[in-house]
Amino acid sequence: MKKVILLFIITLVITSCKNDVKNEENINKKLNVVTTTTMITDLVKNIGGNLINVKGLMGAGVDPHLYKASEGDVTKLVNADVIFYNGLHLEGKLVEVFEKMEASNKTPIALAKEINKRHLIGSEYFASNYDPHVWFNIDFFEKFAEKVTLVLSEKDPTNAETYRTNEKRYLTELEKLREDVESAIEALEPEKRILVTAHDAFNYFGKSYGFEVVGLQGLSTATEAGVKDVQKLAAFIIEKNIKAIFIESSVPKRTIEALQKAVNSKGHKVEIGGTLYSDALGSEGSNEGTYVGMYRYNIKTIVSALQ
Amino acid sequence: MSSAQIEIQLIASIVAVACAIPGTFLVLRKMAMISDAISHSILPGIVVGFFITQDLNSPLLILLAALTGIITVVLVEYIQKTGLVKEDTAIGLVFPALFSIGVILIAKNANDVHLDVDAVLLGELAFAPFDRLLTGGTDVGPKSLWVVGSILIVTVTLLILFFKELKVSTFDKGLAASLGFSPAIIHYGLMSISSVTTVGAFDAVGAILVVALMIAPAAAAYLLTTDLKKMLALAIIFGIFSAVFGYWVAHWLDASIAGSITTVLGLVFLLVYLFAPSKGIIAVMYRERQQQTEVSLLTFLLHLKNHDELEERHVNHLNEHINWQKVRAKTVLDLAQKNNMITIEKNIVSLTKKGNEFTSKAINYIMTNEDTQIEDMKDDFFLFRG
Repeated sequence: MKKVILLFIITLVITSCKNDVKNEENINKKLNVVTTTTMITDLVKNIGGNLINVKGLMGAGVDPHLYKASEGDVTKLVNADVIFYNGLHLEGKLVEVFEKMEASNKTPIALAKEINKRHLIGSEYFASNYDPHVWFNIDFFEKFAEKVTLVLSEKDPTNAETYRTNEKRYLTELEKLREDVESAIEALEPEKRILVTAHDAFNYFGKSYGFEVVGLQGLSTATEAGVKDVQKLAAFIIEKNIKAIFIESSVPKRTIEALQKAVNSKGHKVEIGGTLYSDALGSEGSNEGTYVGMYRYNIKTIVSALQ
Repeated sequence: MSSAQIEIQLIASIVAVACAIPGTFLVLRKMAMISDAISHSILPGIVVGFFITQDLNSPLLILLAALTGIITVVLVEYIQKTGLVKEDTAIGLVFPALFSIGVILIAKNANDVHLDVDAVLLGELAFAPFDRLLTGGTDVGPKSLWVVGSILIVTVTLLILFFKELKVSTFDKGLAASLGFSPAIIHYGLMSISSVTTVGAFDAVGAILVVALMIAPAAAAYLLTTDLKKMLALAIIFGIFSAVFGYWVAHWLDASIAGSITTVLGLVFLLVYLFAPSKGIIAVMYRERQQQTEVSLLTFLLHLKNHDELEERHVNHLNEHINWQKVRAKTVLDLAQKNNMITIEKNIVSLTKKGNEFTSKAINYIMTNEDTQIEDMKDDFFLFRG
């Protein structure tokens, strides 16, 4: 009886709704591009403009380590021509899914692969694992932009010229951002350049601008900070006389508040310098909803809190 | 509907069936939480696997995960056998211990690697159709479909082969042993199947959904029948219904598929819990109310039997003398009249012949507690059903 029921359900499911997916594809001749994190979504929108359909899987404030798919994401992926993702295990098991898709007619592109492994920050214990938060190095993000342009031009040669123009405009914008960031950080004395945050997202940023970066939690936001971690970090903050520590938009602020209490209880005053955008941009339409805006906001927050 | 959507519903339905079968036995054996325990205790297996291979995608990790699942079961069984603690306590003792071993191993040796259960077992139904199995370059379908399909075939085969043994050892361990098959072997077999199903289904649909699919359909079926075969069939039907219906809920809401299926499972159980014919909460409440009225009826009949005075048998007397509220008095009077136990003439109540006999029998039953005489009364009154 069980088998009969099962067969019945299966036939029901298969026969009841046989809509043509192809119809939808024909109506929409624009290139369908799926992106993962908000940083990549913003980048692809800047280069593709109105010529492509960009569908981001992760919304603002979503932690990529903990992203949960919705039913709509299935359709987005089914209809995708190109998929841009970060890689280096940032998107968890999704990375593996994308890697397997390479055999199909979709083109999944791991943007972090564009960066030479020598420049990546590796794991202390396991050589084949790297820190995935590469977008905080503006040079690397430029490489992302170049790769996106290249792929879009190949997939859609008729619009290649526009993509290249958009790329040039965007690269100038990034260049301007780099100059502004550098001059803003100049104002901060080198010994004050210590960044204490909730998880290890800012290592590439630190490497670029001479910051010592300390994350309370490990790389994965899923692990919890231990008591010893908090105590050790509190002692470190007092020793270095650090003025402010930072919350991240996509990580609960509880642990950082615990750290602040631990430091304050030892008679040292440390402030919460503000919220930094680490694994996701701000909400769409706001200033911090773009990569450039997010970067400027972070720098302003860091510099004014540590000065 | 795209082929990806069909595949998702197919995988969800197969997982539902593969979970409902061991789930039914787990619920009957009061071991339902073992699936939740396994979903946590596999962490050390995954961590050790990673230390050996240094590769998050190695199949060895999943193999070791299933092995840790079986170790969990063995340890739980061992603690239970001491007889010092109950089933659920033993489960609660074992899995946090194993899970924390995994957490400590990560904290000591791999803090800067993104290593957790989610990173190794996919656990996302939405992506299952994109993880294809390729043999010699041809696409033969999603990998999880093959994995859970194989698990289902093994489970169903074992169920058919050992149905009698499973049934006897679930309900009567002593009888099973005296009939010559060891309840321990059946138990370990069932638990190993549960462990493998949990890990395999975990990879296909995620932890919470596996736990929900193991327990909710079986628990709902448990409230509806006392026949093992019917319970299995009902659990399977509930599981498949929730899987397919839950998928469409997710589609309408653009929400997490596993979340929607779990919600539907919860609703199915709630409906059964409320409306099941004999074990449902509404049926139970009705029965208790009815019993209360019947106790009052009996008191009333005894009163009539003991009093010949007209004033004691006046309708209004019920309110004044026995101190009943008007509504209750009316319910009792109606019930007695409906059963032809009393007649009311000019507001004076008298016992009929039937009423007289009923009262004698009831008193006799209450005094001697022998229920031979009241067999025919059981059909009409809840009070005598034990």
